[in-house]
Amino acid sequence: MSPTRVFVTGIGVAAPMAIGTDPFWRACLDGAAAVGPIPAHWLDYHHPSSTLWAPLPEFDFLQYNVNRIERMQIDMATVLGLCACKQAIDNAGFFIRAKDDKKNTFSVDGLTASRCGVFVGTGMAGIASFAFNQAFHCFSPIKERLGVGSPAEPLLRMPARFNPFAVSQIMPNATAAAIGIKYSLTGPNNTFANACAAGTVAIGNGFRAIRSGRCDLAITGGAEYLADEFGGVFRGFDLAKTLVRDCGIPEKANRPFDKNRSGFLFAEGGAAMLILESKEHADSRGAVPIAEVAAFAESFDAYSMMALDPGAGPIKAMIRDALDEAGLTPAHIDYVNAHATGTQINDEIEARVIDEIFGKKPSVNATKSLVGHAIGASGAIESAVTALSIRDQAVHACKNLDDPVRDLNFVTSPGQREIRAALKNSFAFGGHNAALVFVRP
Amino acid sequence: MATLTITQRVDSIVKEVLRVDPAKIIPSSRFKEDLGADSLDLVTLIMALEEEFKGPISDDEAANLATIGDAVNFIEKKTGFTAL
Repeated sequence: MSPTRVFVTGIGVAAPMAIGTDPFWRACLDGAAAVGPIPAHWLDYHHPSSTLWAPLPEFDFLQYNVNRIERMQIDMATVLGLCACKQAIDNAGFFIRAKDDKKNTFSVDGLTASRCGVFVGTGMAGIASFAFNQAFHCFSPIKERLGVGSPAEPLLRMPARFNPFAVSQIMPNATAAAIGIKYSLTGPNNTFANACAAGTVAIGNGFRAIRSGRCDLAITGGAEYLADEFGGVFRGFDLAKTLVRDCGIPEKANRPFDKNRSGFLFAEGGAAMLILESKEHADSRGAVPIAEVAAFAESFDAYSMMALDPGAGPIKAMIRDALDEAGLTPAHIDYVNAHATGTQINDEIEARVIDEIFGKKPSVNATKSLVGHAIGASGAIESAVTALSIRDQAVHACKNLDDPVRDLNFVTSPGQREIRAALKNSFAFGGHNAALVFVRP
Repeated sequence: MATLTITQRVDSIVKEVLRVDPAKIIPSSRFKEDLGADSLDLVTLIMALEEEFKGPISDDEAANLATIGDAVNFIEKKTGFTAL
């Protein structure tokens, strides 16, 4: 018997451009990128080379089944993950039923809890809470010794207390756990910490859990929040020379695949969740698939913590594995949603790999040219974009791509395209590579 | 809008955190025995009171707050708290 087919039946997005799948996808097609100056108070600690980021919009977390008390107990990455999750469950057409008023938990009608898994990727969810609690830990005795009115006082930013929930705020598995608790899902619940590929790896593992018959449904995606109070995470990426350096014209700074690219645009954070469901389960409740996941493949560079292997052997092998699993050849791929960070080496290598395997046929775009780079959430946000591109047979443009690094079929204006099959690539610090193939159901 | 009293504000926090029957929110109600609070609930309650009244409550102080009335009295007497 052939393995079950796996459908994407719901999507939720919380990203710098918009909270909500529809406004986010509209902003992608409109090319409405997110960019702004980094928080001014970060400059009290350090003057980085890069001065721009992609900030998140303000949003009302109460709408997404997160109450004020819970907000005090969880990291912002988890808030974003729960926000995307609620949207995805609603979008898939499920009815959410209140279960425990005090715990603010729910059940989802029509699901067998033990057959539903949660698979979430993150790079460093919890880091902002870690930094802030640590600030209280280190600064409160210093503040006491300095006394009132010390000139150092404004630098000693700290919360009112060391949060009693610090451990469960900080642990990277908190988002997956919070989703499982929130919606009473008792199947496998896992976290993947593969840096910039984490979201893609998480979706891939959810796909495999359904293919293997372990799950009927999986909530899959990624969540990240990178804005610690002091800008220390930003400083790390800045020192590694990975962030946009030509910041003179903010709206032109972020330019993946352009010859004049100067690094990636750091995103404050983000999350996307995709509901994956076996065809049988989706059919039984009359769900309309958004896209189908046809393959997941992964490889590892075994080369460098911070740089891609220029030979790209493991990446090429991974893409071929993904195509094999999907039963496709390179000629079948109509669209590549590239990893495309906008760093010099990364884009150069990825463009060459796409050219070698696919040539100039598939449409290629860079979602990070709009959203910036939300690390562990990026693969999930970009998978959401890939699935929506298949649903609507439309692609967004590569923002600021004026002088392409290579002659590929880069999308320079948004619009309709026939997309039967699409590839989503992700490459991570450490050397983790992951790819998903999405097809029209 | 009339300013809420400390009692009203404490009652509101207790209701929000513990989700108990409003009829049980009276000064003599004990958090653990009468309102069913476990240790995590108590920690959450203290955190929510600190947030509401903008001041720290030490572990020793928290250990002495057994009833809603205790919490109200404590906040009324504690200097540095936002009493209005």
